Amino acid sequence: MKIDLRLTINGRGARFEVDPDERLVDTLREKAGLTGTKKGCGIGECGACSLMLNGKLVPSCLVLAASADGAEIVTVEGLASGDGLSDLQQAFVDEGAIQCGFCTPGMLLAGEYLLSRYQRPTSDQIREGISGNLCRCTGYTKIVSAIRKTARRRAIRRSGR
Amino acid sequence: MRVVGKRVRRLDAEDKVTGRMIYPSDRVIDGMLWVEVVRAAHPHARIKSVDTAEAETVEGVVRVLTARDVPGLNAFGIQIQDMPVLCHDRVRYMGDAVALVGAETRAAALRAAALVRVDYEVLEPLTDPEKAMLPGAVALHPNGNILHQGHFTKGDVELGFKKSSVVVEGFYQVPMMDHAFLETEAGVSYYGEDGLLTVESCGQYVFRDQTQIARSLGLELDLVRVTAPYVGGAFGGKDEVTVQIHLALMTYHTRRPAKMVASREESIVAHTKRHPARMWYKTGVSKSGKLLAVQARFVADTGAYASLGGPVLNLMMEHAAGPYLVPNFKVDAYAVYTNNGFSGAFRGFGCTQACVAIESQMDRMAHKLGRDPLAFRQANVLHQGDLAALGYEMKLKVGAEATVKSARRGKLWKSRRRLVKDTSRHSPSLASYIKRGVGVATQMQGVGLGIGIPDYAEVELRLDRDGRLVVFAGTNEFGQGAYTAYAQMAAERLGVPMDKLAVVGADTAVTPDSGTTTASRTTYAVGNAILMAADKLEAMKAEASEPGDLTARATFHVPTHDVELGEGLPHLLYSYGTHVVLAEVNTLTGEITVEAVEAYLDGGRVIFRTGFEGQSEGGIAQGIGYALFEDVIIEKGFFKNTNFNTYILPSSLDVPADIRTVPVQVLEASGPYGAKGISETCMVGVTPAILNALQDAIGVRFTRLPVKAEDVLVALEEGRHED
Repeated sequence: MKIDLRLTINGRGARFEVDPDERLVDTLREKAGLTGTKKGCGIGECGACSLMLNGKLVPSCLVLAASADGAEIVTVEGLASGDGLSDLQQAFVDEGAIQCGFCTPGMLLAGEYLLSRYQRPTSDQIREGISGNLCRCTGYTKIVSAIRKTARRRAIRRSGR
Repeated sequence: MRVVGKRVRRLDAEDKVTGRMIYPSDRVIDGMLWVEVVRAAHPHARIKSVDTAEAETVEGVVRVLTARDVPGLNAFGIQIQDMPVLCHDRVRYMGDAVALVGAETRAAALRAAALVRVDYEVLEPLTDPEKAMLPGAVALHPNGNILHQGHFTKGDVELGFKKSSVVVEGFYQVPMMDHAFLETEAGVSYYGEDGLLTVESCGQYVFRDQTQIARSLGLELDLVRVTAPYVGGAFGGKDEVTVQIHLALMTYHTRRPAKMVASREESIVAHTKRHPARMWYKTGVSKSGKLLAVQARFVADTGAYASLGGPVLNLMMEHAAGPYLVPNFKVDAYAVYTNNGFSGAFRGFGCTQACVAIESQMDRMAHKLGRDPLAFRQANVLHQGDLAALGYEMKLKVGAEATVKSARRGKLWKSRRRLVKDTSRHSPSLASYIKRGVGVATQMQGVGLGIGIPDYAEVELRLDRDGRLVVFAGTNEFGQGAYTAYAQMAAERLGVPMDKLAVVGADTAVTPDSGTTTASRTTYAVGNAILMAADKLEAMKAEASEPGDLTARATFHVPTHDVELGEGLPHLLYSYGTHVVLAEVNTLTGEITVEAVEAYLDGGRVIFRTGFEGQSEGGIAQGIGYALFEDVIIEKGFFKNTNFNTYILPSSLDVPADIRTVPVQVLEASGPYGAKGISETCMVGVTPAILNALQDAIGVRFTRLPVKAEDVLVALEEGRHED
């Protein structure tokens, strides 16, 4: 039995036929061709498949695709604005928060989500916010720093200075 | 310098933040089959028969392959080919492959894999390396269970102990550790338009993968192409073949593209691990604090197959006495086959294990003598011209002392007495239960493959008439940032701006053979080849009458020692480091927190500053994991923790915010701009420095990793304080 699934992915409507036991991460990677969302463990422990589903950060390996019908999804491919990188992406590049890069898409989504919850997160809040996303290369130092700098810049922009 | 040493932007950064980077697991090819492996159902068993009939009836299954479908050598292994591509008579660990299923969908492949009937005669697994090495033990391989052993003596340790005023004995146990690269083993295979059987897969040396594939398929080398420069982490765990031969085999038989991606559970079971080791030490020191004797005995569990177990054991022996001058030395070491998984290369490569033991011993001796642990180390470090523990001369500059001196001047060490008393971040009621300590460790790490193993790097540079430069190098990029360092060195030498530079990596059909992406060697070896090729380009430019496209190739041979003691033993070139760790113990809960780490690393000249720091920060996280969390648990040959819910990796909450990496740049005359490498040194010392900090905090000497909260509580309960 196939199930009809409608999603809005990075602002665009899309339709898929999915199996009842199909996970959202596989729909995106294998049917939508959006391989920026990675798979690292398949049990919601590593965060490589993190994406935004109706504004909430979720590990997409734990989401049944069919249950997401009608959802708005943001993946790493939807973060850049126009031709340029988003400020958070740019901060990851500038700070050197990337090594093998396999955790990077999930980290960026986790970063965006925590920046949506805290306008000026403390270092502890940032560490808490990305603690569901494992990175084996960087030791997290430069990732935390990229998120902190982005928060500061956004706060300055908001205050109109 | 204009570019070298600067915080430039990683060449691959933009592709990695946008999701555009295509990793082996992301590749999709029209008409590809999904391949699943049928792995052993027992850690040790004889295969009586393999029946694929039922599996072949599953809808969507295209082909099921068994041992008889391996046209060439049904064995692989970097050093000794003792591991079957597909097992035909016996399985020796849970990761052994018995059959391959190729199907139109992954679901069909998985369904069929479960229906391959293997009739086993179950055998008793060998789970204790010390028993497996005894005469009379069931042999896992034709030459018995001792894969490799080494025995070295310098001077007379007994005399050394007699002269010593303090003699310390210790027994250390370190666990099996998983690389936990975030991208599991993955790749695709297909026949290219050029007719080549092409494998795009994770790996650390495409040219050796090409050899291993061709040998098992019975093909000429030049009919096989291997590529995939960008890989989602490796750390040594993708050095041995994983998916490569299986993929090629499926495409060879079906003429169709094929794809494999290991599940995490499969990954943890199947690929090589860090050798678990038991280490017995006896060390003696004079009243004045001079190291007089070091005796070590190692038994390393190499698991079911050889891979790099022999060289790993050699490095364990080479680094058994750390970076110290010792007149009397004796080591006896064994790498033993068992049915406990499969051990091989992992960041540090044997040094990691030995460093845990010798740096604990050094601390215990300093403690007993009442000496400052860093001053004690400084008084004993090797210098250029000294004889190392194994008796060969340290011919190049030795940076050990420079790293110790820098550490002594650092904030953590200088403020340690204040820092260990500072419990101000805790509530007053909790503060009295908080104990803090500062610990150190100093180490050296061979750079390059060592003597007796071909170690060279060939590169090609192409400069076009518009001034664009492309570096062709055959190594992989799995995070370390080496491609960026290559570009920086080329840019520096030729005056080409970074934005006109590109690096093409790891493709047997396109790039020259630059050697393995291992052993802290690529910046040094490939960097030297780049500078040689750049000089050729300059000469060609000077001679050219009109502007045109220029191409130059060069090969750098990594210099070796003139003493040869074994495979890869010894090295001529070493990197050095000293780590200082501030750790905290909650004596109510047993919880351990690493509060701050300082890393003083001598990798020679730093080329890519951001990459250097990033490696160090990641190495610190892995060192914390090795000390406090990580342990692949195998009971009777069966794996007990095969995903990240039970195999615990350090998260952002376990790695301190306070990390400082200080380059101690003892310039190496033979290195490109004086560079060596730090990708292993940056991790190795972290673990023993944590153990030493715990001793400082609560007076307990932990000798078995990982140290968990319950170990702390039990030790405190038992009053197991060190005198």
